[in-house]
Amino acid sequence: MSHIVLDEAKCKACYLCINECPKKLLRVGSKTNNLGDHLVEFYDPNHECIGCAMCATRCPDLAITEVYRG
Amino acid sequence: MAALTQIFKIPDSIKKGAKYSFCPGCDHGVAVRLVGEALDELGLRENTIAVASIGCSVTIYDFLDVDSLEAPHGRALAEATGIKRARPDKFVFTYQGDGDFASIGMAESMHTALRGEKVTAICINNTTYGMTGGQLGPTTLLGQVTTTSPTGRNVEYYGYPIKIAEHIALCDGTAYSARVSLDSVANIRKAKQVIKKAFEIQLHGLGFSFVEILSTCPTNWKMTPQQAHDRVRNQMMEVFKPGVYKDITADRN
Ligand SMILES: Cc1ncc(C[n+]2csc(CCOP(=O)(O)OP(=O)(O)O)c2C)c(N)n1
Ligand code: SF4
Ligand code: SF4
Ligand code: SF4
Repeated sequence: MSHIVLDEAKCKACYLCINECPKKLLRVGSKTNNLGDHLVEFYDPNHECIGCAMCATRCPDLAITEVYRG
Repeated sequence: MAALTQIFKIPDSIKKGAKYSFCPGCDHGVAVRLVGEALDELGLRENTIAVASIGCSVTIYDFLDVDSLEAPHGRALAEATGIKRARPDKFVFTYQGDGDFASIGMAESMHTALRGEKVTAICINNTTYGMTGGQLGPTTLLGQVTTTSPTGRNVEYYGYPIKIAEHIALCDGTAYSARVSLDSVANIRKAKQVIKKAFEIQLHGLGFSFVEILSTCPTNWKMTPQQAHDRVRNQMMEVFKPGVYKDITADRN
């Protein structure tokens, strides 16, 4: 099952990945970082991720650490 | 369950657990990652000496897992020249801002290209002095408001912005000079190939190689990271056109 690994500790809530995902699987979550910004979460209940790595390529902060296709 | 293929990982040339100190959405982070990926793919990590500069690029030695030196403002290519001449067996590159490269360091940069030193320079063009709070720099666009051009850059007072990749291409010692943009995923992927090409030019000992990277500074531009990419696309890329301005290997391919 294609999926990504997101390291919340590195996410700076820039939200660049949200617009990049062709399947719209990244969204603003309820958890916040130290500054009170809402972190991004990977939400894929229907297993739609295609492992394209668009999100990880765009992320400027190494927060999307792994992408798997299969 | 179908076998999984790993499509993306953090490059080994980036220190384990590295956490950037850049502002949210700053493309310095993408540029450093691409440099790491290129070092990985060319197997250069163990044989590299990086030269960091002054500006927001100052801390790359905290993120890249290679031997590094820090140069005074503008002098990265002078240091890189000394390192490469003393240790020609090493892969040597600089990572500099546009202010560092093309303002205070203009003499060092141009003469390194004119001497054809067998080193690579990566220059981040974000049209401002990022670290010091967004002053007018050599690449600031006409009309752009900065802390030192509060009514916008005008030709009468400040003159024109410099097109760095084109100028470096005019130096006879330059083997490769190109400009790339990080405004979109497609362009990020292109940028990676260009960085790799510039590194290969050095590995073949062909002369000076240079990559100018159009990058964002959302903090000083007072924009969201998304708006900043729109600005790169709609304003910067109109003036600073991406492309390969010199490649002495082009005829041989
Ligand atoms: C000799 C000297 N002069 C001035 C400074 C102050 N200074 C620090 S960073 C900087 C500008 C850096 O701008 P740029 O190279 O464009 O990099 P950015 O921060 O935008 O990535 C300046 C002027 C300094 N550190 N040393
Ligand atoms: S790998 Fe592609 S499909 Fe999966 S979350 Fe990232 S952008 Fe979306
Ligand atoms: S691009 Fe990276 S840092 Fe920005 S919101 Fe997405 S995961 Fe977080
Ligand atoms: S000041 Fe600008 S260039 Fe420096 S880290 Fe912040 S956004 Fe990036």
